[in-house]
Amino acid sequence: MSAPATIKVPISVYRFEPGKDAAPHYQEFTLDLAPHTPILSALLQIRSEQDPSLSLRYSCRSAICGSCAMQVNSKSRLACETPVGPEVERHGRIVIEPMRNQPVLRDLVVDQAPFWRQYDGIEPHLKLDPRHPMPDGAPNPMTPEEVDRFKETPRCIACAACYSACPAVEADPAFPGPMALAKLYRFVVDPRDQAHQDRLVRIQPGGLWLCLRCHLCTEACPKDVRPSERIRDLKEMAIQVQGATEAGSRHAVAFKENIGETGLLNEMKLARQTYGLAALAKELPQGARILRKKPELRKRPHPIQGMDEVEQIYAALDRKEDA
Amino acid sequence: MHRHEVVVVGAGLAGQRAALAAVEAGREVAIVSKLHPLRSHSGAAQGGINAAVGKEDSVDTHIYDTVKGSDYLGDQDAIEHFCREAGPTVIEMEHFGTIFSRAPDGSLARRAFGGAGFPRTIYAADRTGLALLQGLWEHLGTARFTLYQEWDVTQLVVRDGRVQGIVAFDRKTGDFTGIAAKSVVLATGPAGRIYGRTTNAHSCTGDGIAVAYEAGAQLKDMEFVQFHPTALLESSILITEGARGEGGILKNAAGERFMSKYAPHVLELASRDVVSRAIVTEVLGGHGFDGPYGQYVHLELMHLGKEKVESRLQEICDYSRRFAGIDPVTQPIPVYPAQHYMMGGISTDIRGATNVAGLFAAGEAACVSIHGANRLGGNSLLETLVFGKEAGMAAAAFAAKTGTSEVTPADVDAAAAPSRAWSNRSDGEDPSALRTEMQRTMERYVGIYRTEADLLEGLQRIRAVRQRFANVRVVDRSHVYNLNLTDALETGHMLELAETIVVGAYARTESRGAHSRVDFPKRDDARWMKHTIATRGPDGPALSYAPVAYTRWEPKERVY
Repeated sequence: MSAPATIKVPISVYRFEPGKDAAPHYQEFTLDLAPHTPILSALLQIRSEQDPSLSLRYSCRSAICGSCAMQVNSKSRLACETPVGPEVERHGRIVIEPMRNQPVLRDLVVDQAPFWRQYDGIEPHLKLDPRHPMPDGAPNPMTPEEVDRFKETPRCIACAACYSACPAVEADPAFPGPMALAKLYRFVVDPRDQAHQDRLVRIQPGGLWLCLRCHLCTEACPKDVRPSERIRDLKEMAIQVQGATEAGSRHAVAFKENIGETGLLNEMKLARQTYGLAALAKELPQGARILRKKPELRKRPHPIQGMDEVEQIYAALDRKEDA
Repeated sequence: MHRHEVVVVGAGLAGQRAALAAVEAGREVAIVSKLHPLRSHSGAAQGGINAAVGKEDSVDTHIYDTVKGSDYLGDQDAIEHFCREAGPTVIEMEHFGTIFSRAPDGSLARRAFGGAGFPRTIYAADRTGLALLQGLWEHLGTARFTLYQEWDVTQLVVRDGRVQGIVAFDRKTGDFTGIAAKSVVLATGPAGRIYGRTTNAHSCTGDGIAVAYEAGAQLKDMEFVQFHPTALLESSILITEGARGEGGILKNAAGERFMSKYAPHVLELASRDVVSRAIVTEVLGGHGFDGPYGQYVHLELMHLGKEKVESRLQEICDYSRRFAGIDPVTQPIPVYPAQHYMMGGISTDIRGATNVAGLFAAGEAACVSIHGANRLGGNSLLETLVFGKEAGMAAAAFAAKTGTSEVTPADVDAAAAPSRAWSNRSDGEDPSALRTEMQRTMERYVGIYRTEADLLEGLQRIRAVRQRFANVRVVDRSHVYNLNLTDALETGHMLELAETIVVGAYARTESRGAHSRVDFPKRDDARWMKHTIATRGPDGPALSYAPVAYTRWEPKERVY
């Protein structure tokens, strides 16, 4: 039994106890570790050998309990499944910070109450209709294809890495966040649930269209749940159910229509279609200022060269949708 | 001071199911858990949940397999009830919203598991625990109850011959608080972290078992500790039995499929104690692979094909790739047995009742006993739900006919006193070092193969660590998420329980199921077909014995 080869791992850990410390500070450690050592193991080694006062959440150490999400070199990651080697290779050191969009309670422990409230807010339980009772003494039939419709959402471990990474949450705490919306998707596609339409109608003013489509949630998700793609699916389903009734959905529909017409955005028309004339009227002074600065907006765009290609793309997308 | 009718400690599957049952029975309920319920270790269960729902299968076969798997130490009346409830329990979980894997005809998909006569393990890919935990938690969200989240139980208050409530420690504030209850259900899971190599989460420290034991509850069959045959080398992360159920095979360094020597009929799908001993025997015989993280054997999935491995064993692929740098589609997985499950626990009857009035227990913290000397894969998830519900109903019935309970300021002071002393010391023992010493001792002296000499040595060492623990010191003075303090609380709990494991193992001079004495290699039904009962005494655990309940199945030699 030979000892594994190790590397020097410089780790800088965020330390802060609100109410006690005037400001956060970073504590520096250097450990000798095998490159595949998970960051959680490194932090636990720091706790047991150097500073037992370092506080963090952790439990399963196998990426299934969702406790140990934190910022690793500014990315939301599960500490238990992120090895030290590649981080040191890429950044020269490892900076460990608490998740974002949730207030720090101490060190790497954040207050997850807002995150859990958003999860509860989408009513994450089957809603039944008395006219469709559960089968008596038998499971509901469900085909493997119906199970596939959940995509990867059942893998979600509620670690909040997506919530931490989401700029829409940062901008507007009313935004349910990627996890809650992915969870909503899970219920909307559930053949047992009898409230699909109601869920889709209610989530529209409830924040569905606040998603910026930046895909940072999908990038952060350790379980490949791809929340941004599920949010996109929800948007499509919401328009199908309700038509374009929200500024967000009207914007999406107008965007598609604009591009389909000329290959370019007609921003005057887009604004009108998104917000409606009445709402725009209130913004007249602002509109006048923009037009003074960008007079080209007055001109209606001409179809671009290669408009036939745009048409072909649209036709291909329509065919894909039908299939 | 808080007050509730029924307090459930632990919010994994057993605790949640108990809480649901108590709410449905009309009682006012609180759940106390040191983790958010969705972070409970139930979520780490991978392979599946047994229910004999297939046409070719039968409840009787499930009962027989469980009795045989238990090496005839399981109580047959409890096992019969357990297996009969299996089908309705799984159906209920499906109705609650659990997303199970499905067969092409739309029915619940089933896979083969060790020690089972038919493929009867219903699953959700290889994350069945997570699927059930989500399904139950989301369903429980429609019920009314109070949640004390990230509160650790530190004491069970028993007075006037019955439970009065608990004292718990709030991680967010550092406060010790009394929670009065007419009845208490302990569902705090196992104490796997007593061992160094364990598949269990860091949170599995047996808090509920320890506070029950300290308050006079009897523990049953603590010496029966299951080692899972296939834990990932180094991290000991679980590689589900489902991997073998799907066709995975074990090979030694000579390339031999060695299980043919130990279980010629069912090979890798023998019961867990058999497969774990086979692996250790191979390694001790010089047939293991060797590497920086010790010796091991190979679990091969390559022949199953990429599609099957990646769809049915998705998490296993992730674990192997992320935690061992191995791609199971093209490479063998290095595995070695690790502590996985405690058959023993707080002694209960079939309704979850303990010897302390008003105290109930369920799940891995409890011992009914349905697993006897060895648990079958797929039976533990089922146990949490079947007996969680029983304990919740029984606790509700007890609360309904019981007057007010009282947790006094003196109770709270008494519970908080030790940790105040730990924090006020200027010199003393580091809880984390004591924990490591305990883990090494249990690993070395109270592992898969046991001898009298080793067990004696182990007992002395554990007692020495307990003595050092009397002088434990907490250096972190913060009141907020003080893990140094929770480390000490948990280590104290585990040391209590470690002693009961060693004492029980030393006394039991036979080999049965997971308890394997090299010096007593045969099962001895005449002397030892009985449950070990440990009661806390002034000089450590006092042992007594209780009969095994029989119904229809005569003990036979166990051959797979």
